[in-house]
Amino acid sequence: MDQALLLLLDAANYVLVIVLVAMGLVIVFGLMRVINMAHGELFLLGAYTLVMLQQAGVSYWVGLVAAPLLVGGVGLLMEELVIRHIYHRFLDTILATWGLSIIIKQGVILLFGPGAQSTTAPFTAQLDLLGSSYPAYRLFIMGVALFVVAGTFYLFFRTRFGLAARAVIANRDTAACLGLSTRAFDRATFAYGAALAGLAGAVMAPIMSVDPQMGLGFLIPAFLSILVGGAGHLGGPVLGAGLIGATDSVTASLWSPVLAQVVVFTMAVIAIRIFPTGILGGGRK
Amino acid sequence: MKALLKDRRSAVDLAVWGGLAALPLFMGAWQVGQIAQYLTYGIFAMSLALIWGQCGLLSFGHAVFFGLGAYAMSLTTLGMLPGWLESWTSSYLGVALALAVPAVVANVLGRFLFYGRGLQGAQLAIVMLAVAVVAERIMTRWGYAGGMNGLMSVPPVNLGAFGLVYELYDPLPLFYGTLIAALAVYILLEALVRSRRGVVLRAVGADEARTGFLGHDTRSVKLAVFTLSAAVAGFAGALFAGQFGFVSPPLIGFSLSTEVLIWVALGGRRALITAFLGAIVVRLAENALGDLLGPAWLLGLGLLFVLCMIFLPRGLLGEVYARVTGGAGVR
Repeated sequence: MDQALLLLLDAANYVLVIVLVAMGLVIVFGLMRVINMAHGELFLLGAYTLVMLQQAGVSYWVGLVAAPLLVGGVGLLMEELVIRHIYHRFLDTILATWGLSIIIKQGVILLFGPGAQSTTAPFTAQLDLLGSSYPAYRLFIMGVALFVVAGTFYLFFRTRFGLAARAVIANRDTAACLGLSTRAFDRATFAYGAALAGLAGAVMAPIMSVDPQMGLGFLIPAFLSILVGGAGHLGGPVLGAGLIGATDSVTASLWSPVLAQVVVFTMAVIAIRIFPTGILGGGRK
Repeated sequence: MKALLKDRRSAVDLAVWGGLAALPLFMGAWQVGQIAQYLTYGIFAMSLALIWGQCGLLSFGHAVFFGLGAYAMSLTTLGMLPGWLESWTSSYLGVALALAVPAVVANVLGRFLFYGRGLQGAQLAIVMLAVAVVAERIMTRWGYAGGMNGLMSVPPVNLGAFGLVYELYDPLPLFYGTLIAALAVYILLEALVRSRRGVVLRAVGADEARTGFLGHDTRSVKLAVFTLSAAVAGFAGALFAGQFGFVSPPLIGFSLSTEVLIWVALGGRRALITAFLGAIVVRLAENALGDLLGPAWLLGLGLLFVLCMIFLPRGLLGEVYARVTGGAGVR
C-alpha cells in the first residue's frame, strides 16, 4: 500500500512537470502555429540558470524567480530575431527552432562543459504521509506546478487578456481587424511559454542531474502528450500528460525505463491513429 | 525552351558525377577511403531529401532507418541471424534485409502516423524524433547486438557469388563501388522525381488538401514515398556498415538524425544532387575544422543552419544550383 502511494505521488510529480512543459508548447502553437523544438533547451536554460546562481552563492529562491524571467527574455529574443521572419513557413519554423536548440545546447556545453552539474534543494525534510516518508521538496514541486497551471487557465479563461488571446487563436485575421495587436500577443505568448519551460527547468533541477542533454527527455513526452491530448485546447496537454506521464512512471518503476519508453511511444502512435486530432480534438479544421 | 532548361540541369548533374569520378586522381588513398564513406552519407541524404524536399515530410529521426540497415547488414554478414538463417552470411542477403527491414518499419509507422491531423501534420517529424531516441536506447540495452559497444569487425561488402570472393576493401574499388551504388540510387530517385509521380509528390508537399481534391490518394502517396525513402536509407546504412566495419547505437539515434537534416538543409533539399553534395561537403568541412573548433563547430553549424532557414531556404548549394540551372525542376 505504501509502495502504491509513493508510486502515485511520483507519477503525479512527473505528470505535473510535463504539463508545465507541454502547456508552453501548446500556447505558442495555438497562437502562432509554431512548433517550438527549442522548448526542451529552454527547460535546460532554466535549470542552468539555477546552477549558475547557486554556484555564485545566491539563494535558491532568487534562482527560482530569476529562471523564468531570464528564459522568458530568451524566448522574447528568439521570437524577435528568428521566428518573426519565418512564422508563415510552417516546416521552416520547426527547423529554425530546432537549429536554435542546437545553438543553445552547444552554448551551454561551451560555458559549463558536457558533464552533469548539481544543485541543492532549499529544504531536504521528509514528510510523513500515511506512514511512509516522502521528500517535502517533491510536494513543493507539485504545488508550484499546480499553482502555475491553474494560474495559466485563469489567465486564459478568466481575464480580458485571455479573452483577447483566445480571439487571436480562434481567428488571427479577424482579431487583427478588431484592433488587437497580434504582434504584441505573439511576443507575449512566446515569452510566457518560454518562461513556463524555464520555471519547470529550475524547479526540477535539484532532483535530477543537470546536463546538456536533459532537454530532450522532457520535450518528447511533452510533444507526445499534445499529440495524444490534442493541440486545440489548453486541456489537451493536461489530459495527454496525465496518460503519458502516468503510464511512463508506472511502467518504469514496475519494469524498466526502456520498456516504459517503448510502451508510451506505442500508446501515443496508436492514440494518433484512433484520434487523429487528439482526444480532445483539434478545435478547428 | 523547357527542354533546353531541363538539359542544362542534366548537364550540371553529369558534370557533378564526372567530377566525383575524377576525384581519386587528385587525392591520396586515405582521403579516397574517407570520401567513399561520405558517399554513403550522401545516399542517406538523398533519401531524406526525397521525402522532405519533394513531399514536405519532415523526419527528425531518419537515422533510425540508416541504423536498421546497418544493423541488418552486420547481423547477417557476421552470421548472427537466428536459427537456420545463421549460415547465410552473404552480403547480398544483408543488403536485401537492409532494404526490407527499414521499409517494413516505415510502412507500419506510416500507416499509423499519416492519419494524424494534430499539430498541422507535424506528427511524423515529432514521432520520428521519439522513435530515434527509443531506438537508440533499445540498441544500447540489447546485448545480443553488442549493446553499447556495438558490433565490431563487420566484414566488407563481398560482391562475389557461388563461392567466389571479391571484397570491397581497398580504397579505390571501395570508392568506385560506392560511387556506382550512389549513382544507381540517384538515377532511380531522379527518374521518380522527374516523372508524373514526382509531380504528384511535389503537389502533396505544396498542398495536400488540394491534391486530394484532384483525386489523388495523398495518404498512399506519402506512405509509398516514406517506405521507399526508408529502404534507401537502409541501403546507405548497409554500405556504411561494410565500409566502416563497426556499427554502434549512435548510428540509429538522435545525433545522426540531426546531422543528416543539417546536411540536407545546408546542401539544398529541393534537388537530390544538392542534398547528396551537402552531405559530402559538410563532412569534409567537419573533417577540416571539427578538431580545431570542438563544441564550437556544432554551434557554428547550428547558427549557419538557422540563418539558412531564414534567408536561404533552398540551401547554400541549392541556391547556386537553382541559379545555374535557371530553377528548372527545382521549386
